[in-house]
Amino acid sequence: MDDTPGAAFDDTEVEADGFRIRYREAGSGRPLVCLHGGGGLRLSRAHDILARDRRVIAFEAPGFGNSPLNERSRNMGELAATMNLAVAALGIERYDLMGTSFGGKLALSMALERREPVGAVVLISPAAIRINPTPDIGPHTLHRHPDSPEARRDPVPPDVHARQRALSARLLGPPRDAAFENRLATLDVPVLALFGTEDTITPPEGARLYRQVLPDCHLMLVYDAAHAIDADRPEALAEVVGDFLARHGKFLVRQESDLVHP
Amino acid sequence: MKATLFNSVHYHGTTPEGVWPVPVDYYSDDAAAESLATAIEQFRMADELGFDWITVAEHHFGPYSLTPNPTILAGALSQVVRRARIALLGPTTPILNPVRVAEEFAMLDLMTGGRIIAGMLRGTPNEYVTYNVNPAESRGRFEEALQLIRRVWTEPQPFGWQGRYFQFRSISIWPRPLQKPHPPIYMSGSSPESGSFAARNRIGLGFAATHLERATRAAEHYRREAERFGWTPEPENIVYRLGFHVAETDDKAIEDLKAPTAVRRGTNISRANQAVEEAVANAGYYGADLEEQRNRSRNREQRTDEQIRGRIGRGQLLTGSPDTVFEQIKKIRDTLGAGVLDLTIAIQYGDATRRSIELFGTKVLPRMHEL
Repeated sequence: MDDTPGAAFDDTEVEADGFRIRYREAGSGRPLVCLHGGGGLRLSRAHDILARDRRVIAFEAPGFGNSPLNERSRNMGELAATMNLAVAALGIERYDLMGTSFGGKLALSMALERREPVGAVVLISPAAIRINPTPDIGPHTLHRHPDSPEARRDPVPPDVHARQRALSARLLGPPRDAAFENRLATLDVPVLALFGTEDTITPPEGARLYRQVLPDCHLMLVYDAAHAIDADRPEALAEVVGDFLARHGKFLVRQESDLVHP
Repeated sequence: MKATLFNSVHYHGTTPEGVWPVPVDYYSDDAAAESLATAIEQFRMADELGFDWITVAEHHFGPYSLTPNPTILAGALSQVVRRARIALLGPTTPILNPVRVAEEFAMLDLMTGGRIIAGMLRGTPNEYVTYNVNPAESRGRFEEALQLIRRVWTEPQPFGWQGRYFQFRSISIWPRPLQKPHPPIYMSGSSPESGSFAARNRIGLGFAATHLERATRAAEHYRREAERFGWTPEPENIVYRLGFHVAETDDKAIEDLKAPTAVRRGTNISRANQAVEEAVANAGYYGADLEEQRNRSRNREQRTDEQIRGRIGRGQLLTGSPDTVFEQIKKIRDTLGAGVLDLTIAIQYGDATRRSIELFGTKVLPRMHEL
């Protein structure tokens, strides 16, 4: 059995809004739509664990990976509309959203554009509100242990990397965007925002802003993780995300038994 | 330099030896009450004499310390000790609930008007039996607890913690620490791992149950590591704990220490239970320099002139007249560069101990403050 993260995920495409959009999928149950970071689609052990209890659908946004250059999406709002059409094209009626970094802003934009079918939003190291306007991005800041096998797995080719970087920079918008934050203040959907304690790209000191802006937001610090939480602490991430998706605000109350012996 | 008076609230009565947990066969309520009253009185004296800090600590299941929860004693002292800082050196954080520790420190900081020093220790090996915690995970739990406590003190919004050893869904403590961003943090740092961690996290280092040469090596490692992380420790970032006894003359000081007391000298909590000590050592508790760390707590007897002079020579004991003790302090300052001496009263010698505190406060401390 191949235990590479994401090995159990199918690799397919769907037509939406004039794009052919790639997605990876595994599991069954309530759908969790995943939006990747500026580094492109990359499945982790956390996706594998989450797919045990739900249908995980991880899209590759147009212009990322080996897809054609995307000059059509002019801003995050337009990309969000495209991605909502892609979700609709899969025939999914109710779903949760999970966005990482760049994908965090995309997920929030999708929920703002189409609120009704979204049950909850999970933000992993989100870049929607940023306190570090000029982050130093590289293996040494993405990962707590840059030399670990997981950090070194499947490096992105330089040309793809450059295109992805340019596209995400163009669509991400300013670090603080008052108009966008005003719209977030109306987003009445349960949100879980996770930050790695060792993250310097979206530092944990920025977490509090999400709670101040979003009406229903829980903050979670993931100890000893850098920006790529799903690669650094996949089990820790998947456990709390799974619990939050299942119980929303009730996830504050512990359910596991602490009984030692009956 | 600064001085802090450390009283572990040693039970001053007859106890069984070479055993831990220590059974209460000989336990006397009166002796316990007298031990506590003496300690509180000596802390009050130290405060009035101008000691910079006073120190309380945590030990369990034995007469070495009647303060299994030092924050409770610190709470009482917050209303007695009016000027000096109260140093908790400290809670054994790996065996405790870190959120509770953060809350208690914050309460104490409020109760003392911002005079708390927050030590966080891994404790002696036996403490891992106390609340049934695996010593193999001691360092991991310690490092995580410290990061969590610091975050609990400073984070303004409710937040959850998804750790390796600790998991909390939502934290927002009241009250907050009075000192901003939080009270000064110290940890014990005799091992290279601890020194590196303290340097990386810019926190103070304490040395206890060691000797001057070994502490100096550890301090040099800490300063080198701090340099690597872009900062230079101040003298006050290093606390050195040792015994002390001052009398009018050198001879009287040494005679005082040889006087009979109810407490066995050199009682060693780390080694009282050999099976426990070995199991904890085998679990990897001590880290890279295992033998060096295991040997730290040896040579603590002080029954004979030779043993007492040996301990003075190794920088484990300040003993003599005020002038002599001042010279011993200068040597520690010049060798180790410690800015704070944590002066330990483990054994009570009645009036001689009171006199020692007085002499230190009046004849040594003012000169020490000039160093």
